[in-house]
Amino acid sequence: MTKSRSGLAAAFPAATELHDPLLEVVDLATSFQTPRGLVRAVDGVSLTLARSRTLGVVGETGSGKTVLIRSIMGLLPRHGVQRSGKVIFAGRDLGALGERDLRRVWGTEMAMVFQDPMTALNPVVRIGRQLTESLRLRAGLDRKAAIETAVALLESVGIASPRERLRSYPHELSGGMRQRVMIAIALACGPKLLLADEPTTGLDVTVQAQVLDVLGTQQAERSMAMILVTHDLGVVATRADSIAVMYAGRVVESASTAVIFDSAKMPYTEALMRSIPRLDAPPGARLAAIPGRPPDLTTVPTGCAFAPRCAYVTERCIHETPPLTESAPGHYHACWNPVGSPEGEQAFSTNLAKGVMAAVEIAQREVRK
Amino acid sequence: MPEIAPAATPERPSAAVLGRRADDQPESPNGTRRKLGLLFWLCLGFIALVVFGAIFANVLPLPNPNLQNYSAVDAGPSLHHLLGTDDLGRDLLSRIVFGSRVSLVVGFGGIAIGLAIGGTLGLLAGYKGGAVDTVLNGASFVILAFPPLLAIIVVVAFWGRSLGKLTLIIGIASIPSLFRVIRATTMSYANREFVVAARAMGASTRRILLRELLPNVAPAALSFALIGVALIVVLEGSLAFLGLSVALPTPSWGNIIYEGASNNLLQTDPLIALWPALAMFLLLTSLNVVGDRLRARFDVREGAL
Amino acid sequence: MLSYLAKRLVQLAAVVFVISVLAFLLVHLLPGDPSVTILGPFDTPTARAEILRQLGLDKPLPQQYLTWAGNVLHGNLGRSFLTKQSVAHAIAEAFPIDLELVIVSQVIAFALALPLALVASRRPNRAFDRLAGTATFGLLSIPAFILAVILALVLAVEIHAFPATGFTSLTTSPVQNLRSIVLPSLALTAGSIAVYFRLLRSDLISTLQEDYITMARSKGLSDRYILLRHALRPSSFSLLASAGINIGSLLTGAFVVEYLFQLPGIGYQIVESISARDYLMVQGMALVVAVAYVVVNFAVDFLIVLLDPRIRRA
Repeated sequence: MTKSRSGLAAAFPAATELHDPLLEVVDLATSFQTPRGLVRAVDGVSLTLARSRTLGVVGETGSGKTVLIRSIMGLLPRHGVQRSGKVIFAGRDLGALGERDLRRVWGTEMAMVFQDPMTALNPVVRIGRQLTESLRLRAGLDRKAAIETAVALLESVGIASPRERLRSYPHELSGGMRQRVMIAIALACGPKLLLADEPTTGLDVTVQAQVLDVLGTQQAERSMAMILVTHDLGVVATRADSIAVMYAGRVVESASTAVIFDSAKMPYTEALMRSIPRLDAPPGARLAAIPGRPPDLTTVPTGCAFAPRCAYVTERCIHETPPLTESAPGHYHACWNPVGSPEGEQAFSTNLAKGVMAAVEIAQREVRK
Repeated sequence: MPEIAPAATPERPSAAVLGRRADDQPESPNGTRRKLGLLFWLCLGFIALVVFGAIFANVLPLPNPNLQNYSAVDAGPSLHHLLGTDDLGRDLLSRIVFGSRVSLVVGFGGIAIGLAIGGTLGLLAGYKGGAVDTVLNGASFVILAFPPLLAIIVVVAFWGRSLGKLTLIIGIASIPSLFRVIRATTMSYANREFVVAARAMGASTRRILLRELLPNVAPAALSFALIGVALIVVLEGSLAFLGLSVALPTPSWGNIIYEGASNNLLQTDPLIALWPALAMFLLLTSLNVVGDRLRARFDVREGAL
Repeated sequence: MLSYLAKRLVQLAAVVFVISVLAFLLVHLLPGDPSVTILGPFDTPTARAEILRQLGLDKPLPQQYLTWAGNVLHGNLGRSFLTKQSVAHAIAEAFPIDLELVIVSQVIAFALALPLALVASRRPNRAFDRLAGTATFGLLSIPAFILAVILALVLAVEIHAFPATGFTSLTTSPVQNLRSIVLPSLALTAGSIAVYFRLLRSDLISTLQEDYITMARSKGLSDRYILLRHALRPSSFSLLASAGINIGSLLTGAFVVEYLFQLPGIGYQIVESISARDYLMVQGMALVVAVAYVVVNFAVDFLIVLLDPRIRRA
């Protein structure tokens, strides 16, 4: 129950922990058996994350972000799911553990902040118990110590009069408060890795920033690593050390945040960036939406999954799946005709001439600017 | 509890993870709903058989259900009397087939009355809302607050227990429950796009109720109605045991079971009570299975009952 | 919460008023007035008018109602025309039997349905769930009177494990009392088990799909803890509502079962009084029983509100 480790056992991981990444995901794949067929929600993802760093995982709805982080944690339904690949966390392969062993890791070493605090907090259980139950059952605190810790936690995530709040039910709090409570719950047992699944999606813009600041502060204070999942590149721009862009269950580009924003190679990343509202855009400027929809993951076509929506698409993209290659140290992308490359330029002008929708839209935007 | 392996998880992972809501009646791979299953059709078949027997009881080659044949008293099943005879030498099969008329008339007739009045009011209240709804809903609450069986027993005892009166009383008693079910179902459709669209195009209330809402409410109503019929069949049996079903010697399933269970007949000839009890059990199972499958298929929450 | 309570109390008062009017009218609207029963063969117009005057039945209805309601509020429900027994006294004797029936049958029902539903919902549509589902479906289709007959035949007549009919009061002999109550309780409990199991199972399954259950899992809590502390309560509302109606109607008399087992509870007494045309007895019992039914349902509604903080605010 408690996080007791014998001295010897603790010594060895500690030595290696300093050098190894906290989390190393190798070729992780998760698929669901559904009535409509097998859904490949995550399809061969590899990632590394160092201690106290932040990785932003970005992609549209349905790109497999949520399933990815749940697969990393092992927090998947127990039937109809196939998961393969390795998840090496602090020296152990979580993929090899059963739920019984995973449960020892959950909450205490690895915790999750869910997308919608309204549905992720139990509506008929007081905040106090939802917060103290893991302190008592997992960290082994007694009732009084658990309550004191809970008050301190609520205070640290910026909740006023925390002691009274313990007696509240979730519906009695505002959306921002609920999300703060959820963060406090996730932080309760001092995890080394926090998985935040679109923690601000349901919130007002001003509250979004506050909640993200709380996450950032807590992360720094606790030197905790974090995976921040979002569909909004703007959210991770200033808060992530590196970014992985997901599309149709795969990582299609990953690099440090600066590199992604400076020299994105993948047309999809470029398209995502165009969809961020900009302060320097002329008034009334239209946000660039990405034409089309993400593919249905039951019938992933051969070739690049983004090809049908891509401005740089060529014949090759439709027939051959581009591998994830390292174009510069630490910068990976999966594209035959990367943005800024001669192949890319050529493909784009050909498509523009042919009147491919995606290419035309981009060109029109350039003209208006 | 021992090893609690796959407990607290969604049974249907994809749905939960991908944010869709699962019900316990999964879709088949080709996207259509799962088939109703053999049991459903068997049960429907049994209901049809009972209905057929009740309608054509006069034409079928059956002896008079009240004919007392003293040369064959308490006879076991034979070619002449397929299910045997009772203590008065009456043919049991014939009594059961004729007796089904009472159960079916009271059951289906009662529900028909309940649906005609309660259903119509429910559609109206669910669609119109406002004062109509407040008044009707309040009234249904007050009436439902009264123990229904007590009311039925008192009225039947003092007013009379002919088949027509029984049907009418039970039908009236079923109005408030059916009203509530139909009202709730209607409300879930009342503000859907197709209704709003019809209203925007200037369709009359009557047209919206009949053309837009009724077809959508009907499946749920049907499944509740079938389960209601089952409840009424039991009710008729209960009344018979209190001596309040149709007057003897008219056979009804309740009456036959009651007669078979009295005068120590259970010890001497348990078959007299057993056959009609079995028939009733099968009919109730069939009604419940058909109603339940329809409910699951049309995704009506059980809690709404 | 207080305003909700106040609103429901007003509703309750309204319903009780309507019930009292119905119970009052029962005696007046039914064919044949009490004088017929009382006088029997000595029925003459003058004697009849005299009786009606004595009983206050010659006054206008609203006035009669007020007199009657006043008496009722003082605990005076009148006396039986036939046995001269006080109606209130008869109810006081019969009611504990129903109470006992309710308690025993509901304890059995919950003790079986709750664990069955908890286990079945863990693996929906697997062997255990299907078996329990089929079994309860079968129970649902056996009417209480058939079950009562079968139980009496097998357990009382054939193997003499329990008395077939009759009732021994708790004060006379606790053991005999329990023996006399077991069979009727079993006959009544079958339907409850089936309904409770089905409601709880289906609500548990949908609750277990909620985000907050995944969230609780992510805290590393055990399945057992999650099931009991996070899933059970939000899944229990339709169960409780149904139990309320069920307990209410059992309290108001399990007519057939009491009649079959000759248990002198309210249900039995009402049926007897009806066949004896003992109007005041029927009236008094119907009133008390209907009020009990309403109050039980009100109490259960209130319990649900206590358990579901979301309604409290609304």
